[in-house]
Amino acid sequence: MQRIRTTKERARRIDLMYFARPHWLRRWRFWLSCAIPLAALGWLCTMHAQGGQRVFSAGPLSRSHAVFTKQCALCHLRQAGYFQNVADKACLSCHDAPVHQASQSFTPTCISCHIEHKGSLQLTATADSVCTQCHADLHSREDSLHVAHSISGFSEDHPEFAGLREGSRDPGGIKLNHYLHMQSLLGPNHTRVRLGCEDCHRSPGRDKGAWSYAGVQLQPASSTRDMAGVRSSHDASYMAPPKFVENCAACHLLDFDKRFAEEQVPHDKPEVVHAFLEKRFAEYIATHPGEVHEAVRFDRQIPERPALVRMARDAREWVGFRVEETEDLLWRKTCKECHTLTAAAGPLPEIAKSKITARWMPRAEFRHDSHRMMTCESCHTKVTSSHETPDVLLPSITTCQECHRAQGPTKEFAEGRCFECHQYHNWRNEQRVNGTYDLRQLRGE
Amino acid sequence: MRIDRTHRGWFIGSVVAIGVATAIYVPYALRTPRPSGGSAIGLIYGSVGFGFMIFAGLLGLRKKFPVWRIGRAQTWMRAHLWLGFLSYPLILLHGAFHFGGPLTQVMMWIFTLVFVSGILGAAIQHFMPRVHTAQLPMETIYEQIDHVREQLAMEAGRLVDSACDALDGELSRASVGQLAAAASAGTDWDVTVADGLGFNEDASRQLRDFFLSETLPYLDKVGARDMALADPLRAKGMFQQLRILLPAALHSTIADLETICEEKRQLDQQRRYHLVLHGWLLVHIPLSYAVLLLGAVHAVMALKY
Repeated sequence: MQRIRTTKERARRIDLMYFARPHWLRRWRFWLSCAIPLAALGWLCTMHAQGGQRVFSAGPLSRSHAVFTKQCALCHLRQAGYFQNVADKACLSCHDAPVHQASQSFTPTCISCHIEHKGSLQLTATADSVCTQCHADLHSREDSLHVAHSISGFSEDHPEFAGLREGSRDPGGIKLNHYLHMQSLLGPNHTRVRLGCEDCHRSPGRDKGAWSYAGVQLQPASSTRDMAGVRSSHDASYMAPPKFVENCAACHLLDFDKRFAEEQVPHDKPEVVHAFLEKRFAEYIATHPGEVHEAVRFDRQIPERPALVRMARDAREWVGFRVEETEDLLWRKTCKECHTLTAAAGPLPEIAKSKITARWMPRAEFRHDSHRMMTCESCHTKVTSSHETPDVLLPSITTCQECHRAQGPTKEFAEGRCFECHQYHNWRNEQRVNGTYDLRQLRGE
Repeated sequence: MRIDRTHRGWFIGSVVAIGVATAIYVPYALRTPRPSGGSAIGLIYGSVGFGFMIFAGLLGLRKKFPVWRIGRAQTWMRAHLWLGFLSYPLILLHGAFHFGGPLTQVMMWIFTLVFVSGILGAAIQHFMPRVHTAQLPMETIYEQIDHVREQLAMEAGRLVDSACDALDGELSRASVGQLAAAASAGTDWDVTVADGLGFNEDASRQLRDFFLSETLPYLDKVGARDMALADPLRAKGMFQQLRILLPAALHSTIADLETICEEKRQLDQQRRYHLVLHGWLLVHIPLSYAVLLLGAVHAVMALKY
């Protein structure tokens, strides 16, 4: 018997009611289409019940704000309607944000620079673009600008540091030959010394180590904030200006008269030195009245002075002669070795201020301690050959650019974006913020 | 749906759209400190991407109401494919390639699954129909497979009964002498009437045995991949053996049984192909609804804050 495959036979194979019995695939699709969205909604409600609005967060908060993760309303102030970003008002309730420059033509909002909900990033690590939106083509409400007009980035067209531009010189009033000081010298107690950078240049926050050659303890100097009035929380950032007592006195003795053996005049203003000398000689002659009428040759160690013999008539005149002789030595030789003295209206000279520059880049921040793995000379290359005081020994921007690039740490370079050195807010004008929240509000309890 | 020349316009349009979106995004990302979905450009990407997602989701509604005169089903399908495809890169650009907080992270992972399952489904639906046509000439309507399989089993039973009845009829018509001679006949190849009668009885039994032990269980069982007849080569050998053992008069019945088994094999294969062809929808569709729901919640909350 052959299989019969007539049209009727074929038509009989079709179950005409098949559509009334949905296939299991369709049934599963339907039930899953109901169950999965419902499960998603259930998850959302559970998360909302457990963690408040945290589930709707656009991303993890930065470390400094992480504690407020459940308190969206602290920053997202309740306002009517939609499209309400975090207003500056919310930031300013906890932070003061002094303006950048009084003459700036544009003030960005807080959130345009400090981007939240991007994880544990530093909020201060802003993109260069937020700076270059103005600094690439800088305009000021004032006519003149004191900074470069166009800067696109540290690696591109950032100008050379101001201290190194043509015609710049060290304004310091202390005569110092770096080259000479780094040679083998006659030091304290007739010993030979070879100074290193750290023997004179130390940051205020550094451990107070003994000076290698004289056992003189380094005293802490003023903090960096005091030094330049610019906020810095890092005491080890800048080198404290060298001080005579700490860094020079061991070799540069201020002895003034053989009658007083190793006693030295104070390292102070001429008026103080003068008063000190008058006092000490008066005390001396009071205890040695027999020396008043002794003839004293005024020769000392100054060759151009004629070798006069002067005899005092009384103790007062004797003190006057001795003070005059000693001051002649001090003003013309001892002090002059380092200081610039100018004649003044009175009998005493004027000493030019030392003006040692603590911060060469007042608009930028630098941390010496972050660079401690390098030798000083590897950046300050001109130190060992500098003979003159006005030589600016600041490293060039090209030295910095060898490691720091705007592309930043991801490209095998050190961070080189603007915020690495520059602060936007002028912290000198920072005001104290009075807190508005109590602990329970912050904790969301 | 096959992705053929009719998709050229959609393809070019999608490439251009991705190019334009990228061309806008790159300078925006370079200029903006940290691009986010909350910026004006981010919101535009998000709105357009979510719009495409909603449109892609409307395909299910369109299929529910095929009589609505709102464009051809094929056009809807093409739009679903390409706009759904475009929505993913747009949403990535919207979020600046970040998945964000808990809600958006869950949403993006689900969306990624939807996107990947969609791509996979499109590829399957592009290639599988050809394979289907080439390998399954006896395919039927998928929902009819069980019904057809039952009919095949019945048809095979009828064929075997009919053939065996014919042989039994010959045997019943034989005389007593012929039956006695047949009983005393040896296994010699000199076939006599008696031999022929004995041969018919044996053939009828063998055919029934084969049908009951091999063919019917195979036809009754869905899939039955573990059975000998499920393997075309083994089935061919078995039927060949049956032809040698049984008289030529039964060969046409054996050929019909072989055809029925082949049809059953193809129906089983069709069932498997159908599962591949439509199984991905079990992932794609429910997750699509979930992502649309979460997306709507995200849009409302994100715009509010």
